[in-house]
Amino acid sequence: MTSPALNSPLASVTRSWERARRPNRDHVEKLKSRVPYWFVALFLFAFSVLQIELNPFGFSDLTQRYTQDISDLLITGPFLYPTTGREQISVAVIDEQTLHGLQMPWPWNYGAHARALDAIRAFKPKAVVVDFLFVDMRADESIAELVDEIARYRKAGIPIYFEGGNDLPFGEAPIRPEIARTGVPILDPTIEVYDGVVRQYPTTGYCYGTNGLVAGQCPSLALRLYKDLYKDHPPAPLHDKIELVWGTRTARFNVKFNSGPLPCNDDATFLVRIYRAFFDKQSAVGRCPYNNEIPVEALMVGDNDRDLNALLPGHVVFYGGALQGAQDKSFSPVNGEQPNVFVHAMALDNLITYGGRPQQNVMTLAGYTFSNNSAQAIAILPIILILSYMHRRRVRARERRVDRSEHGALYDWFMDKGIENLWHWLAFLLAIGIGLLLASWAGLSVANWAQDVFLSVELVAMLLVGAPDSFWGYLHHVAGGNPGDTFPEATS
Amino acid sequence: MRRRFMLPIIAAAAIYAVPALASSEDCSSIAGDAVLSARTPQVDLYDAPNGKRIKSVDQDKFPTCLAVTQRAPNMMLQVTVDGAPVWVPPHMVNYRLAGKKPAICRNLAMGGNDTKVGALGEDCPQKAGTP
Repeated sequence: MTSPALNSPLASVTRSWERARRPNRDHVEKLKSRVPYWFVALFLFAFSVLQIELNPFGFSDLTQRYTQDISDLLITGPFLYPTTGREQISVAVIDEQTLHGLQMPWPWNYGAHARALDAIRAFKPKAVVVDFLFVDMRADESIAELVDEIARYRKAGIPIYFEGGNDLPFGEAPIRPEIARTGVPILDPTIEVYDGVVRQYPTTGYCYGTNGLVAGQCPSLALRLYKDLYKDHPPAPLHDKIELVWGTRTARFNVKFNSGPLPCNDDATFLVRIYRAFFDKQSAVGRCPYNNEIPVEALMVGDNDRDLNALLPGHVVFYGGALQGAQDKSFSPVNGEQPNVFVHAMALDNLITYGGRPQQNVMTLAGYTFSNNSAQAIAILPIILILSYMHRRRVRARERRVDRSEHGALYDWFMDKGIENLWHWLAFLLAIGIGLLLASWAGLSVANWAQDVFLSVELVAMLLVGAPDSFWGYLHHVAGGNPGDTFPEATS
Repeated sequence: MRRRFMLPIIAAAAIYAVPALASSEDCSSIAGDAVLSARTPQVDLYDAPNGKRIKSVDQDKFPTCLAVTQRAPNMMLQVTVDGAPVWVPPHMVNYRLAGKKPAICRNLAMGGNDTKVGALGEDCPQKAGTP
C-alpha cells in the first residue's frame, strides 16, 4: 500500500524530473530495444522536416544547388539535354567590339537601335525580344524612328517585345511613354540569381500597360514568349520557379566564331570530366555561351552571310548587350560569366525543349502542386517508412542474438558491420529509386531529388548510431517505463 | 507554225535583254563601291552616318546602281539620290565593295582578353574542343 502523497501528480512529476536529470542507464539501454515502428518513423520525419525547413547553415540550399551544378555539368548538359530549343533561338548582342568596330560609343541613340532592329527584321525572324531598358527620359528626337520601327514590325507580322523596369529608384516610368503608347508588349526582365549564379527562372512577373506598371501577376518573360509563339504545345500550369537545365554543348557557330586565345571547351574524356567537375570545376565549365551569339555589328554592316541566313530567319531573336560595366551579367552552373540576355534565352530554350513542361522546384501529385519544401518532405516519406521498418527488424534481430548468444562475438561484429554497409547502400538506392519514380511521375526536380538522397544518408547515420532508439529509451524511462514490463512491441 | 515563228523573236529578245539585266545587277559600269539595289521593302535615307532619318523610299522607287561616294566607320554608305548626298544603312541595300570587307570575329571564350577581327565565323582560327 502506498501513501496518497506518493501517488499525487506533483510526486509523479518530481520523480519524472529526477529520472530526466539522473537517468538509470541500464533501464534506458533495455528500453531502447522496445522502440516502436511509429516512433522511429516519426523521429526521422521530424528530423527531415527540420532539416528541410530550417535549412541549417544553408546546408539544404548548398546541397541542392551544388548537385544541380554537378548534374548539369556531368549528366544533363552533355548527354541528356537536346538542342531542340537552341535551333530556334539566337542572341544578337551589342558588344564592345561592335561599339569599337562601328565607332558608335555607348549609349546608342534610339535611331541606332531602330537600325539594328531593322537589320534583324530584314532576316524575317519569328519574334524579337529587346533586352534593353528604355527608361531614361533623355532628349533624343530619334525615338520617333524606334516607334516607327515597332510599326514596321507590326506591319511585317513579326512580334516584338520590350522590357519594363521595376523598382526604379526615382519613380521613373518602366519604359519611355512613347514606346509604351505603341501598345507593344512589355515584359518583366527579372531573373533569379543565387550567389551570382542563375539556376532558376521565375514563372511570374510584373504586368505592364500603356501607362506603366499595372496590378496583378503576368507570366515571366520566357514563359510569355513561349505562350505567344508556341501555341501548338501550350505550357503546363507552372508554379513557383523553373529549374533551369543549362546545355553544355556550345553552339557550333560560337565555336567557329570564337577566335580568342582560349577554346570554348576543353576536350576531356568522360572520366576526366567527372574528375574536373568534382575537383577542378573551373576547368570543366564552358567558356562560350550555349546559344548562338551574333554580334550586332555583323547585322549592321549588312552581311548576307550564310550563317546569318541560318541563324536568324524563323528564329526567336534576343537583342541585348554584352557591355563591360553594364552590371547585367551572371554566372551559370556550366559557364563563366555571361550577359543576362542568355539567361532569358536559356529559359525559353528549356520551355521549347521540354514542350512547355520544364523542370520545376515543385512537384505535382494527383493534380495538387506541392511547394519546394513539401515536395522534398513527401519524397523522403517512403524512404523513411522503409528504413524505419528495416531498422525495427534489425533492432529486434540484434536483441534476439544477444538473448540467445548462439554465435561468437566476432561473428556478431562482422554481421553488424556488414549490415551497416548494406544499410548505406540500401538508403542510397532507395532514395535514388524513389526519386527517379517521383521525377518521372510527378516532376520532382533533380535538386529536390539530390537533397533527399543526401538526407537519406543522414537518416541512416542516425539509425546506425541508434538516435531514435536512444531517444525513445530515454523518454520511456522518464515517463516511468519499466524494463521488466512486457510490451506488445517487445514480443512482436 | 505560229509557235515556230515566235521562237526566234523570243530568243532574239532574250539575247538582247540578258546583258542589260546583268549590267543592272552587277552595275559593272560603276567602278569602286556601289549600291546595286534596294534589299528591304523600304530604304531609309539619313543626313549623316549617325544622323537623322530624312525619308524612306519604297523598294521599287529606290534607284539602282548608285556609286558610293563615302563609307562611314559604321558602314553607312553615302550615295546621291535625286541629286542630294544621303547615307543609307548597308543592311537595307544590296551593295558591292571594291576590296575585301573587314572580317568579323569574336573572343567568345570568357577568361581570355585577346580580340581578333576576321570574317563572321569564317577564317577564324579554330581551337581544340570543337564539338
